[in-house]
Amino acid sequence: MSRTVMIVDDSLFMRKILRGILVENGYIVTSEASSGIEAMRNLHSNHPDLIILDIILPDSNGLELLESIIAASPESKVVVCSSIGQEQVIQKSLDLGAKSFIQKPFTPEKVTEVLESLED
Amino acid sequence: MDMSLYRDLFVSEAKSHLSAFDELIIHLEEAAGDKEDINELFRHAHSLKGMAATMGYEQIVAIAHLMEDHLGLIRSGEAELLPELTDLLLEGGDLLTTLVTSIESGSEASLDCTPLIAKLTAYTHTDNPDANTTSRKEEEAADLHPDRTTSIHQFRQSDSLNSIRIKTETLDHLVNITGELITNRYRLAESIQLAGATNICNEPLHQLTTLVRSLRDEIFKARMLPFSVIAERFPRLVRDLARKQIKEVHFQIEGKEIELDRGILEEIAEPIVHILRNAVDHGLESADERVMTGKPFGGTLTLTVIRDKDYIEIIISDDGRGMDPVKLKTKGVEKGLITTEQAALMSDQDSFQLVCAPGFSTAETVTDISGRGVGMDAVREVVHGLSGILTIQSEQGKGSSFIMRLPMTVSIIHVMITRSGKFEIAFPLTVVNRTIEKRKSEITDESGRLFTMLEGEQIPVRSMRQALHLPETELTDDILQPMLLCNVHGTLVAFTVDSVSGQQEIFIKPLRSPLSQLRGISGATVTGDGRVLFVADVSEL
Repeated sequence: MSRTVMIVDDSLFMRKILRGILVENGYIVTSEASSGIEAMRNLHSNHPDLIILDIILPDSNGLELLESIIAASPESKVVVCSSIGQEQVIQKSLDLGAKSFIQKPFTPEKVTEVLESLED
Repeated sequence: MDMSLYRDLFVSEAKSHLSAFDELIIHLEEAAGDKEDINELFRHAHSLKGMAATMGYEQIVAIAHLMEDHLGLIRSGEAELLPELTDLLLEGGDLLTTLVTSIESGSEASLDCTPLIAKLTAYTHTDNPDANTTSRKEEEAADLHPDRTTSIHQFRQSDSLNSIRIKTETLDHLVNITGELITNRYRLAESIQLAGATNICNEPLHQLTTLVRSLRDEIFKARMLPFSVIAERFPRLVRDLARKQIKEVHFQIEGKEIELDRGILEEIAEPIVHILRNAVDHGLESADERVMTGKPFGGTLTLTVIRDKDYIEIIISDDGRGMDPVKLKTKGVEKGLITTEQAALMSDQDSFQLVCAPGFSTAETVTDISGRGVGMDAVREVVHGLSGILTIQSEQGKGSSFIMRLPMTVSIIHVMITRSGKFEIAFPLTVVNRTIEKRKSEITDESGRLFTMLEGEQIPVRSMRQALHLPETELTDDILQPMLLCNVHGTLVAFTVDSVSGQQEIFIKPLRSPLSQLRGISGATVTGDGRVLFVADVSEL
C-alpha cells in the first residue's frame, strides 16, 4: 500500500523537487504547506504517514512547530529538512521526536536513502 | 531525475529572492543595523545557494556562499555593514541576476565570475568594536528561533492552486472586448429610444449596464498591480546616482501598495526614472552648497503615490535648489521656443513647463537648470499619451515637485462631450475642472489674446473653432458662450465650444498614422450610432 506524505517548505521550488523524489519512491503527496499555519490546518483533515518539515519557515519557530505537529498527528513520521550548519537544530529535532533529517542541498539518492531508513 | 523540469520554477523563485535581496540591502543602508533585515538577507542568500546547489549551478553557489559568509559575520555582530561591502553585495546580486537570466533564456553562457569572487574573497572586515559575546549569543538564539511574523520583507511563494498565470495579451483582448461591449450598449440604448421601445427594454437594459460594468471592473482588477512592482528598483537607482555624484540623498517611497493598471505601470516607469535622475543630478545641491544655505547636509527626495477616486497621482518632490523662472525664460528665448514678448507675459508656473519643450535642453549642456530638460519632453509625452497631466511646481531655494495625474486604467475613460461646428470633441474628465458660461462683454481681447475673469483671476480663453480651423461664430451679449475650464500644465484655461452635450464613458482607441500626427487629438472612439468622436489633448491645443 502506498504511503501518504505532506511537504512543509516555504519554497515552492523545494516542494516540487521533493514531490518529484517522493513520487518516484512510491509516496502519494496528499498535501503541501508553505507555512506553519497551513501545515497545522492541513493536519485537521489529513494525517499523512510521513511529514517532511523544513525547520526554517517564515512564520514559525521550527522546533515549536515540530512539537505541535507531533502532538496533532502522533502517528505521522516527521523528517526534518535543514541546511548545513544547523546541526544543533537537527539534534534538538531528533530529541523532540523527529525520525530523521535531510540536509539541504540534497540529491535524490540521499532523500531515497533517508526514506528507506524509515522502513526499518 | 530530470532536473531541467524544475528550471522555470528555479528561475522564478531565484528572481524573487534576488529582488528582495536588493531591496533589503538598500533599506539596510538607511536603517543601519536592523537585525531583522540582516536575518532576511542572510536567508535569501542561503535559500538561493541551496536551490542552486540542488540544480547544480556551481557559479551561483560559489557567489551566494561568499555573500552568505559576509552576511553571517554581520549577523553575529562580528562585522559592520560598510558602504564598500554594500557595493560588493549589490554587485553580487547583479551578477547572480545575470546568471539566473541566462539560465532562463537557456543560453547558460559562461560568465566570468572570477573577478567578483576574488573581490568577495579578498574583502576583509574591520573589527566591530560593538561586538560582544552576549549579542552574539542572542543572534545565535534568534537563528534557532526565527520569529519573523513581524517582518516587513516576508518572502512567500504564492500557492499554485489559488492563482493561475495568464498571458497579458489575453487580458488586453478582454479589455478590448469589454470596450466594444460598452460602445455597443450605448448603441443599443439609442436604437431602443429611436424605436420607441424604452418602456419594454428599460429593465433588461439596466441589467445589461450593471453586468457590463461589473465585467469591466473585474477585468481591470485583474490587470491591476501594486506600484511596488516598478518601485523596487528606484531606491537602488537613487542610491547609485547619489554615490556617483557624492551626494547624500534620503529617498522615500510612499503609497507603494496602491494599485495601477499594468499598462500604465509599464509606461510610467521610465518617466519616473527620468525625473528621479534629474532630481539627484540637478535638483539636489551638493552637501557643501546645502550647508552654506542652511539646509540639512543630506537632500530629501520623495516619491508619493496617492489615489484620488478614479485617478492616481504620482508626485516626485525634492528639497533642492528649485528652478529659476527668469533663467528658464531667458533660455527659452535663446532657444527660440518663445518670443521676448511671450516671455514677459509668461507666468512663473508656465515657465516651468518650458523644461518639457523639445529642444529646451540636451544632455551635452548639463548645467544647473538646463539639465532639468533631459528627457522631460519624453516624460510629458508619455503622461499625455495616458490621458494624464503633468504639473510642475518649484520654488527657488526650496525645491521642485513633479506631479503626474493619471487615470487608474487605460482605454476606458470618462469624458465630457462637446460640439464645435461639425466636430464632436471629447475632453477627458482628468483635465476638465468644470463648465462655465460667459457673455461677449466678459471676454477681453488683448492684441489677439483672449481672456476672461473668473473669481478674480484672469483666465486665458482658447477657441475650439479656431483650433479646428472653422469659421468663428459671431458672439453677442444675448448668447452665453459655453466654455470648458481645463487644467493645462497646472494653469486653468477656458476652451470655447458651441455646445456641451454631456458626460460619457468611452473606449478610447489610439489613432494610427497619419491621424496620429494631428495636433491636439490623442485618440478617437466610435459612438453608439457610428459617429466618430475625437479625444482632445488640451496641452497641445
